[in-house]
Amino acid sequence: MAFVLTFLLRRLAQGVIVVFLVSFLIFTLLRLIPGDPVRMMLGTNVSEVTLERKAKELGLRDPIPVQYANYLYNFIQGDLGQSYLLGESGGAAPTAQNKQGGQISAEAEIARDAESKTTRASVFKLIGDGLPYTLQLAGLGLLFTFMVALPLGISGGLKPEKWQARLAFFTGSLLISLPNFWLALVLILLISSNANLLPSIGYKGFAYTLLPAIVLAVELVPVIIRGLSVSIASSTQQGFVDGGIVRGLPWSRIVWRHVIRNASIPMLNMFGVQIGGLLLGGVFVTEYIFDYPGVGKLTIQAVLQRDFPIIQGVAILAAGVLVLVNILVDLVATYIDRRLKY
Amino acid sequence: MTEPILQVRNICVDLVRPGQTRPVLRDISFDLVERQALGIIGESGSGKTVLSRIVIGAVNPPLKVTKGEVLYRGRDLLAMDRTEIQRLRGREFGYIGNNPGSALDPTVPVGQQIVEKLRSVEPGISRDEAVRRILALMGAVRLPRPEARFHEFPFQYSGGMMQRALIVDALVTNPAFLIADNVTQPLDVTIAAQIIRLMHELRKDFRTAVIFVSSSLAVVREIADDIIVLNEGEIVERSTPERIISAPGHDYSKRLIERIPRIWTTEAKQAPRPVDTQKAMLRVDDVYKTYRVADPNKFFGHNKVEAVRGVSFEVMAGENFGIVGESGCGKSTLSRLLSWVEEPDRGTIYFEDADIAKMNRRKLLGLRCRFQLLLQDPYNAMPPHMPVGRTIAEPLYIHGTHNRKEVRERVLAVMNEVGLPSSLYENLLVGLSAGQRQRINLARALVLEPHLLILDETLSALDQVEQSRLLEIFERLQAQHGFTYIFISHDLAMVRRACTRIAVMYLGKIVELADNQTVFFNPGHPYTKALLSAVPTIEPRRYDAKECLLEGEPPSPINIPSGCSFKPRCPLAVERCWAEEPALLDRKAGGHSACIWANASEAELRDAAVAARLRRESAADPTPDAVALRA
Repeated sequence: MAFVLTFLLRRLAQGVIVVFLVSFLIFTLLRLIPGDPVRMMLGTNVSEVTLERKAKELGLRDPIPVQYANYLYNFIQGDLGQSYLLGESGGAAPTAQNKQGGQISAEAEIARDAESKTTRASVFKLIGDGLPYTLQLAGLGLLFTFMVALPLGISGGLKPEKWQARLAFFTGSLLISLPNFWLALVLILLISSNANLLPSIGYKGFAYTLLPAIVLAVELVPVIIRGLSVSIASSTQQGFVDGGIVRGLPWSRIVWRHVIRNASIPMLNMFGVQIGGLLLGGVFVTEYIFDYPGVGKLTIQAVLQRDFPIIQGVAILAAGVLVLVNILVDLVATYIDRRLKY
Repeated sequence: MTEPILQVRNICVDLVRPGQTRPVLRDISFDLVERQALGIIGESGSGKTVLSRIVIGAVNPPLKVTKGEVLYRGRDLLAMDRTEIQRLRGREFGYIGNNPGSALDPTVPVGQQIVEKLRSVEPGISRDEAVRRILALMGAVRLPRPEARFHEFPFQYSGGMMQRALIVDALVTNPAFLIADNVTQPLDVTIAAQIIRLMHELRKDFRTAVIFVSSSLAVVREIADDIIVLNEGEIVERSTPERIISAPGHDYSKRLIERIPRIWTTEAKQAPRPVDTQKAMLRVDDVYKTYRVADPNKFFGHNKVEAVRGVSFEVMAGENFGIVGESGCGKSTLSRLLSWVEEPDRGTIYFEDADIAKMNRRKLLGLRCRFQLLLQDPYNAMPPHMPVGRTIAEPLYIHGTHNRKEVRERVLAVMNEVGLPSSLYENLLVGLSAGQRQRINLARALVLEPHLLILDETLSALDQVEQSRLLEIFERLQAQHGFTYIFISHDLAMVRRACTRIAVMYLGKIVELADNQTVFFNPGHPYTKALLSAVPTIEPRRYDAKECLLEGEPPSPINIPSGCSFKPRCPLAVERCWAEEPALLDRKAGGHSACIWANASEAELRDAAVAARLRRESAADPTPDAVALRA
């Protein structure tokens, strides 16, 4: 038990450091890359003076360390800031709506600004609104992934020179060569638009999750198949498999109770890393293409519009999720293989 | 009664690889009758492991049985289908291999895996009944604290304890016969002797027939009624152990026996050149080394592993100094300290009267030319992508003492000295034998013309023949150049042959330090005697293992208890041994021993042994009787 406490304390402390580093990096880099958020907010027709005033008001002309300190101060109090562009109602804030609206007097702009400050949506709420959708999509995607990848990967690993392995390899190679954006468009065209089997674009019910989840699964399946068949194959090379045979254990028992158990540890570790890269990345792209109202779509729009507070909030969330998932993965791995404790 | 349970008839096995077929076993036939102990000996590559697996019907590609049958009570195992044979394995015959560490799933507690096996081969049995039987048997094989051990994981077992657990695993179904394939090979001598003794007793109690496979005749003769000698896949002789040793009937057996090193009927090693008793090449003064490891059971806790605990000795110029001990005694840590790969926590090491700790990097590098460390594993000690000549030349480049042309000459000269053909100069290591690799390793050390060579189990991975050849090279080099050697080894027969003075280590301390003859023929420490009694030989024994060796394993080097560290295994342990830890005492007979009985007379020792036995018997709780369990 002492081990679990020591482990958790150490890893959580490390995790906090990681999250802070990530937030600092994202914060700094956002301010270094080209693209002025104020210009995106106010449109092309406002005067330089107004632009500068707005930027000063948002604190964007302070030195970056000062900006970061302010951000951190608010973050620790649970405030991730407000979106530059999105309003409470979920649509664009009034300033943004009018950005193409021709020349407006400076006074009118300022008046609108004062009004918009209260109506701009909090990042916390925006992420909170999108998260359930994203979790539903990710969960369903993972479910599809396991339904395909587990049987193929396990049988491929157990029979490395038989047709099972070839099937696993072939499926993996095929799926990994399908780009997700292309696949998404093809599925939308064939299944939604032509055959009218499943809905897509937007969200009006659970059925809208199915197609994006399939696209997500197609991206994950080859990785899991590959990892699984390699770790199963190397697990069957271990002494306890031959040992089990000479000790008289039935083959099925050796496989289900021992081979898979031992192969699950490298798999868990891979999962901990992959969930960050592939799953998160895949979710973002997929949501954007399907216009699916999750955190991914929110993020991509925010990036395109230089909506710094949202990008920062999502980055912290992603880093936090990654850290937690990896702590969990390591904890489960030590439970399965006690040697990892020592 | 004499009806054979197992009949092997004209078995031929081939190794089938694409493009080539090589016979592994040729026309093997033998019978095994009930309660018989059959020994099979052969060198590595003689096919003995394939033979031990064929009698349980477990031969997989690329091996192929081309002829013959294996009849178990009249039914051919090789003709059975997979489910049928899997039902016999584990129930009717048990198999114990030479790799106890990896035979079980490392992620599941040992007891649970034995329950799993018992319940899959005897489906009727309830879980509680299975646990009860296993716990009883764990007691019978003298696994300490069976209830706790049952729930421990394989990595928490030492090699010897694991081998006991696997014996439980094999015997729990009360099989008709048991195959023990090289079971003692990975174990230390005292532990191996315990296992052999245990198998002897179990065989009597369980009336199980045993096929005991080993490369060591000295081990097999301890247990077998009958011995088969296997050479290149053929049975060359079958006879009783006594007959094979006294009158081998086949040329091969004769050669095999001649090659087995003797301990008691050979002369002690003499240094080829007179030892300079005034000049200490290496002086070790009260050296300590402790490692810190995380303790998973304490909050931010750490354990101290006391690997070396106050070791002092001197090695004179021209001497062959031996350091012996079993695994975990700290001899490898000591070798790392001696060669300054690691620094001691406390204490000083002087090389030719200069304190190594006080040297700066440059001086230390210069010093490294004069002493060299050679390790056990010749496979991992060298870069696989470098040609042999370049590997040997490496130290010369590091020290920058020779130009290119001189380097080549020097390397070729050294290769010649260690018996490597100069044609290997441009070769890669791939395909070279362990012996050749170890020669390259030696050449790489010699190329710097060192004065002192530290050999940490350098010869352990080699077979008898290659070991003898390298020992001859060592001896010749010593005669020519006046080298000093430190042999660190667990192999007492090798030490008897190669060392002039010997230190015996136990749990991080030197417990005995004396010349070769004294250590072997008049040892002052009970551990030395136990060690010597446990060495398998084909000669008449000098010490009886029954008197010298108790059950138990060395205590863990974590949190060593006070008092003498050998006391739990010592047949002479008395009250005083729990209270004080004796220092290394001078003995009248010569040498030093860290035992309160160092200078005791024969009569005193006899009295002590009786007193110690009474003490143990009054303390011991009754152990469950294995015979009663059988019912």
